[in-house]
Amino acid sequence: MRDKMHIMIVDDEMIIRESFSHWFQKYGHFVETAGSGSEALEKLEKIAFDVLFVDIKMPGMSGIELLEKIKGEYPDTIVVIITAFGTIETAVEAMKLGAADYLLKPFKPQQLTLIMEKLTQQKKLTSEYNYLKGRLDRITRFDNIIGQSPAMEKIFELISEIAASDASVLITGETGTGKELVAKAIHARSKRNHSPFIAINCGALPDTLLESELFGHQKGAFTGATHARKGFLEVVSGGTLFLDEIGEISSKMQVDLLRVLDEKKITRMGSSHVIEVDFRLISATCRNLNEMIKNDSFREDFFYRINVITLDLPPLRERKEDISLLARHFLQKYSHETNKHVDHINRDALSLLTNYDWPGNIRELQNAVERAVVLAKSRALEPDNFSFLHTIYAPPSKRVSLQEKEREYIRKILVESDWNVTKAARVLNINRVTLHKKIKRFDLKRNKR
Amino acid sequence: MIRAETIIGVLPVGAVPELVLKIIASNIDVHLNLPSEILPFFAPPPAVFDKGRQQYDAGKMLQAFSALELERFKKVVAVCTVDLFVPILTHVHGEAQQGGKFAIVSLFRLDKNPIRAKPTSALYERAVKVTLHEIGHLFNLFHCEDKSCLMHFSSTLDQLDATPIYFCRYCNKYFQMAALR
Repeated sequence: MRDKMHIMIVDDEMIIRESFSHWFQKYGHFVETAGSGSEALEKLEKIAFDVLFVDIKMPGMSGIELLEKIKGEYPDTIVVIITAFGTIETAVEAMKLGAADYLLKPFKPQQLTLIMEKLTQQKKLTSEYNYLKGRLDRITRFDNIIGQSPAMEKIFELISEIAASDASVLITGETGTGKELVAKAIHARSKRNHSPFIAINCGALPDTLLESELFGHQKGAFTGATHARKGFLEVVSGGTLFLDEIGEISSKMQVDLLRVLDEKKITRMGSSHVIEVDFRLISATCRNLNEMIKNDSFREDFFYRINVITLDLPPLRERKEDISLLARHFLQKYSHETNKHVDHINRDALSLLTNYDWPGNIRELQNAVERAVVLAKSRALEPDNFSFLHTIYAPPSKRVSLQEKEREYIRKILVESDWNVTKAARVLNINRVTLHKKIKRFDLKRNKR
Repeated sequence: MIRAETIIGVLPVGAVPELVLKIIASNIDVHLNLPSEILPFFAPPPAVFDKGRQQYDAGKMLQAFSALELERFKKVVAVCTVDLFVPILTHVHGEAQQGGKFAIVSLFRLDKNPIRAKPTSALYERAVKVTLHEIGHLFNLFHCEDKSCLMHFSSTLDQLDATPIYFCRYCNKYFQMAALR
């Protein structure tokens, strides 16, 4: 099956445009025409053409000027110059500017056939080149982390430095900032990179299941344990264990893990047999662990054990330089995945993306670009394609923990009840003893008038 | 089975040897399984002649056929002995309205033997091939990549001689479906 091409004929003479159109339609190619350079540029904004046949002499923008603009904006688009007034000089100039070929009209049928065969080959080579370039980019990029901002440059340096050591790492940062990617990068650059990297989302698993997943179990250890199973702490042997949302694990699990980190030994659930383990721990959280320690919801000793080195990932709004780079990367990814000819984000749309605060960080940007590509009707993404961002946009609010919220709410009710504990307890629907305990725990004091 | 009423008109433009017309008509019957009929000759209007190029404009020629009363025919293929051109090309052996009603074939260059010597009888074979190829376009067949298909584009007589007189299986299937519509 012949590769059908998107072809545009740019010529001020209608009869030439029609003649070309009829010719290419016989091959089943998609053909569009433009009577001037500016009309051609307008159409190029909307559709990705493979080949443009451009007349050199046109009123207004000349074919050479148009060629220069096309090669500047859309370097992959193939341009063939056509003219009835051919001179060697213009041909040489056109070829220097990136024209694929040069035709003097009228031409013999075999010339056009040959040129189309050559262009089909060139198109194939270009797409192969782009594919291979993409693969090379993926290999040479810093372990799939994209960024050129000073903040990210610093992170890249830190990753290289800490990868060599075996110390536990705590990665902090808002949700969607790429904590797992950083963990993978540390593992990839460490001496443990030939052993497994296992990631567990602690927030997604109930305590008992997490324990079973980490430590494994013997047959009959609990109802449903029909066979013995190795835990991830055993499976990861020699590699890196990444515990995401470490702030969500229970105190008991913190104690258990602390012991493992100290002794490097585990016992499976339902077994007394001690197994030696060897792994590097990388943890991540979007919560403020210091606050949690103050609230007694996170163990201080465990915190210091997992937090030998801290890596704080900046939110996307603090590295706006990276937004266009990331947006273009996701555009390329999703236009390839969805097989849509969307290869541009226009200036206004980029400015909108840069000015948005991205509370969901890179993950939100990724989803926004994916949605825009799926719904795009032309080759360039415009501000309209991101209109949904306005509707969900809200200024980033200070993120507080549930305990802080609870503390603030109890204080508010106490103030409204003029610090009458009985009244306040009734409003809060808890008993007085509990309220007294909470007042003490949250260190709430009546302001002196 | 193609309907009997799918009639192809063979329209001579100017003085065209009767034998060529008969060979073309019978090959349409045999190869495309479509009934055909030779029409009275048509004198082209002077406007289709381009004085600058000393050739006949194939596109204008096709437009001129629209004025004829040929409703009875599903498709009409004209045959002429003059040299045809389209604005971008030096010459064409044939031209058709893609998916339309009219096509034209020129015998002007088909009896030339530029490289390898071929008997003049090659003219008939070439004329048939170009005619059937253009009829393919009238039934909305595109140029085919398969060199052993009648719908493969031949830009030289050598290529035309190497092209078979039948469609590849895909083009044939498409043609059968299109002709039944």
